[in-house]
Amino acid sequence: MFFHIVLERNMQLHPRYFGRNLRDNLVSKLMKDVEGTCSGRHGFVVAVTGIENIGKGLIRDGTGFVTFPVKYQCVVFRPFKGEILEAVVTMVNKMGFFAEAGPVQIFVSNHLIPDDMEFQSGDIPNYTTSDGSVKIQKDSEVRLKIIGTRVDATEIFCIGTIKDDFLGVINDPTTV
Amino acid sequence: MSFATDSPSPLHSSSSDDFATFLDTALDSNSPSHQDEIQNQDDDDDDDDNAQSVRIKRHKVESIEETEASTSEGTVKQNLVVAEESVEVDVCSHPGSFGNMCIRCGQKLDGESGVTLSYIHKDLRLHDQEISRLRSTDMKDLLRHKKLNLVLDLDHTLLNSTMLMDLNSEEGHLTTETDSLEDVSKGSLFKLHHIHMMTKLRPFVRTFLKEASKMFEMYIYTMGDRPYALEMAKLLDPGGEYFNSKVISRDDGTQKHQKGLDVLLGQESAVLILDDTENAWMKHKDNLILMERYNFFASSCRQFGFNCKSLAELKSDESEPDGALAKILEVLKQVHSRFFDELQEDLAGRDVRQVLKTVRSEVLSGCVLVFSRIVHSALPSLRKMSQQMGAICLTELDPSVTHVVATDVGTEKSRWAVKEGKFLVHPRWIEATNYFWEKQPEENFIVKKKE
Ligand SMILES: [Mg+2]
Ligand SMILES: [Zn+2]
Repeated sequence: MFFHIVLERNMQLHPRYFGRNLRDNLVSKLMKDVEGTCSGRHGFVVAVTGIENIGKGLIRDGTGFVTFPVKYQCVVFRPFKGEILEAVVTMVNKMGFFAEAGPVQIFVSNHLIPDDMEFQSGDIPNYTTSDGSVKIQKDSEVRLKIIGTRVDATEIFCIGTIKDDFLGVINDPTTV
Repeated sequence: MSFATDSPSPLHSSSSDDFATFLDTALDSNSPSHQDEIQNQDDDDDDDDNAQSVRIKRHKVESIEETEASTSEGTVKQNLVVAEESVEVDVCSHPGSFGNMCIRCGQKLDGESGVTLSYIHKDLRLHDQEISRLRSTDMKDLLRHKKLNLVLDLDHTLLNSTMLMDLNSEEGHLTTETDSLEDVSKGSLFKLHHIHMMTKLRPFVRTFLKEASKMFEMYIYTMGDRPYALEMAKLLDPGGEYFNSKVISRDDGTQKHQKGLDVLLGQESAVLILDDTENAWMKHKDNLILMERYNFFASSCRQFGFNCKSLAELKSDESEPDGALAKILEVLKQVHSRFFDELQEDLAGRDVRQVLKTVRSEVLSGCVLVFSRIVHSALPSLRKMSQQMGAICLTELDPSVTHVVATDVGTEKSRWAVKEGKFLVHPRWIEATNYFWEKQPEENFIVKKKE
């Protein structure tokens, strides 16, 4: 799920960045620092969308660095248990398949793939129904349900399932 | 606790307070352990206020739930149902984990049990039972496609690599002869600047892989590290047809200095291994086809103590149609066709190790050998090799003897061989026969007079 939230961060800035462009420098450093990172609580920071407020700077003794408290708006992404996600399949093997939804890596084990889909090895490994009508392979787009999540500092892992109504392939790369 | 679903939909939440409340409850019910924050330096009054209000909100919610539970019987019943369901979920045997979550029920798992299949994904682990379950389904799938598993070593088996700085002056000519990295499928000698290496693919390797892939599911298994292994896989399989997520490096093994089939999702009775290092496979010698070492560069000749010119120095190479890979491909074809076409047993009961043993035992069948003055330390292994290839080894001469194996023409047995018109061969005849799985022409292994 995406959220638009306000977060706060204390930014340390070297004195060489002071002057007319101070604000711009702060903002670009903020983007560089937080975009693409994760926290267990908020999830993956997709983008900084605005600055609410920059507080008074505090000069650090000895170093000359100044710390500014910055309140900023950002879009974060965090998957939840029970959430339905759309993802792109990255790898298929006999254990199941891996898929990605932005920064999230999802594993769907063959326990959680419908029983009528069987693994087919070969040049392009895939899971296919016995009548051949549905096929999951690399680059397929699938709709899946999250049943477990773990958010690390840089990565988000999920366990997914497609063994439920309305889940499974939504776009087959071979038919495009 | 089912609070997450009862809370106002967070999709519409515009204030971060609501979000924090939502998260607190969602996280509390799932994983109280995750408190790793990025912005942990915050120590602002504002933030405290924020947290305070969250706490109050949560408190309110809890008290509402409490009163509900105590006043309404319905809620109590519902709770019971939830409890029963969760018991059912607990029955999961947790067959493996991805990022420390069960791959089947999603539950967080502690500890690091099972085998890590890092060559597939660094965070994927499977338990023994799950591996054997996968192996047996894999077996069915393989047999249906008339395939077996083939594990291929890289260095000195499929190719030879050297550090650029180890190239000697006589090999300098190679640096101008390397093939383009644009389309590696056409070349065989590559300079890989970014890893400071030069790699020469063994002659015939492309045909070998193409033909073998029709009979086998192929894996790469190398003692090299992961980046090197992937780099080599790119050269051997630029189209990604053969080794898709089946590249195993030393970083993925479960034992130091040993290669094991435990990380392989194939049954041992259906695996063949090609490797030039026998000692890496102590537990799986019956699956192994030992390869003659491919030493193209001088540095690798030195590594194995050969005091001769390298192929590169001699501006030469192994033969394409008659080299080791071409010969071994024939052996693989033979083993494969016997396994599927000639064995009588039920498919599932067949064992490729047995087939390999039988094929090997026919190589020297009908030969009767006597060894004459062979260095003591070399004798047992020569004798064992010969016997595995179906030869009979005698200690004394008798009319049935067909070959005398010696390094010296002057011994009594050697002279007897010449007089009786028997073959007199150098021990290398046995080694070569062993590598090529085919009786080598004796005239190429004549014992020379000692000077
Ligand atoms: Mg090797
Ligand atoms: Zn489980």
